[in-house]
Amino acid sequence: MTIRALIAALAMSAVVAVSHPAAQQPASPAAPAQPTKVNADALSSLVFVKRVDEYVALHRKLEATLPARPEHPTAAQLDRHAEALARLIGEARSHAKQGDVLQQDTRAYLRRQIGRALAGPDGPEMRRSIMEESPGKVQLHVNGRYPEGVPFTTMPPSVLAALPRLPEDVEYRFMGERLILLDVHAQLVVDYMDAAIQQ
Amino acid sequence: MLCRRLPYRIGLVVCLSAAWLLADSAATARPAIQRAAAPLPLTLPNKPDSLKFGVMGDFGTGKREQYELGQQMARVHSQFPFTMMLTVGDNLYGGSRPQDFLDKFEKPYKALLDAGVKFHASLGNHDSRQQSVYEPFNMDGKTYYTFKAPKESVRFFAMESSYLDPTQLNWIQHEMESSRDDWKIPYFHHPLYSSGGRHGSDLPKRKVLEPLFIKYAVSVVFAGHDHVYERVKPQNGIVHFVVGSSGQLRKGNLDKSTGFSDYANATEQAFLAIEISGDEMYFNAVSRSGKVIDSGVIARRKGE
Repeated sequence: MTIRALIAALAMSAVVAVSHPAAQQPASPAAPAQPTKVNADALSSLVFVKRVDEYVALHRKLEATLPARPEHPTAAQLDRHAEALARLIGEARSHAKQGDVLQQDTRAYLRRQIGRALAGPDGPEMRRSIMEESPGKVQLHVNGRYPEGVPFTTMPPSVLAALPRLPEDVEYRFMGERLILLDVHAQLVVDYMDAAIQQ
Repeated sequence: MLCRRLPYRIGLVVCLSAAWLLADSAATARPAIQRAAAPLPLTLPNKPDSLKFGVMGDFGTGKREQYELGQQMARVHSQFPFTMMLTVGDNLYGGSRPQDFLDKFEKPYKALLDAGVKFHASLGNHDSRQQSVYEPFNMDGKTYYTFKAPKESVRFFAMESSYLDPTQLNWIQHEMESSRDDWKIPYFHHPLYSSGGRHGSDLPKRKVLEPLFIKYAVSVVFAGHDHVYERVKPQNGIVHFVVGSSGQLRKGNLDKSTGFSDYANATEQAFLAIEISGDEMYFNAVSRSGKVIDSGVIARRKGE
């Protein structure tokens, strides 16, 4: 390689290095910079679904320890099974508190998604259908049973389409402006967030 | 005779018990006597090989009115032996504890259950998801499902209308597309068309479901939620029924301004008795007092 060619090659690599975003960071071998969250929403969704999956894995593990449900169960047997499952989950998650699954990043992300779904021309109608069956002030507790006799608010299809998909054991439900993560088999509140629907 | 032969105290106990038992059996037998004495004025063809079924919704109150309509169902069954009953949700109000299943379902429909009528439930907004594993509801643990009728070319689609997530919407599309049955009949809780004053038409659900129903040549849809009975004029060729008064009733709660009602009743509880024979579906809406309040025939829409 001639000296002229070497200089040209070095000049080229310098141009490439300058144009690369990482090259704009000051060279600091001791503290690598936090990666930029290029698609923050996708990351929030991923983290959230992972936490729900962990919950579902626990649910299934605990359910497997219960006596198998009879092939033709009576209403009383179903009730005992659901209660026993709820008790086991409650014991295993005795330290769980509001916000453990629906953490701050997730809450912000879900609010944005719900807001987007309700922002269209059908938004007022969807809000109406959500609030129609709102039971008013109801005390909710993480690990508590879904309150007996309180109807399930409808979840508009476009809101569900905007939220991360959940495993079949867990559902989203609104209760007024609250969003609940509901364990449908144990009838248990996994977590909930306030002001999920913004004005 | 026996009473006179026994010592006084024992005789009194035996005879009073016998009298009580006789009175009780007479009370139990009373509906059967009524059934025999007064046939209902049904206008269904009642052909031997047709598919016969019922539809009811918003029924699980455990109150007198629900039981009385249950008796009318038994009367209809004695004349028109339907083999299935579809429920359009709100099967149990106020909870899903064992006593609720007993008082709000097993007792009021005992005559039908004893006669082997198979219930196929869908869930309403008052229904716990646990109901899907209750065997007499025949949901096989699923909150939405499909099944083929035992007679005629008919397939039913029980949907969970309070939770139409992408998974369920993909499912209904796939199932309707793959069905080769002449009649595709969806049923669920929230009505796409309703003149009920409390809730009315559910527009967000109409937006996602109606195009599918049009595409796959659905002829009739059953729903509830509004506590009235209504038959809607064909909308894009599809007849919508609201059967939300089989236990609950919101008297007079009709919005007459919708303009799409063909018949509506908000004065007494009702359910539907239905017969499908070939390309025709006959229906009678029967009220708590035993009147046929609505009747007619619907021709099947043919797919393209």
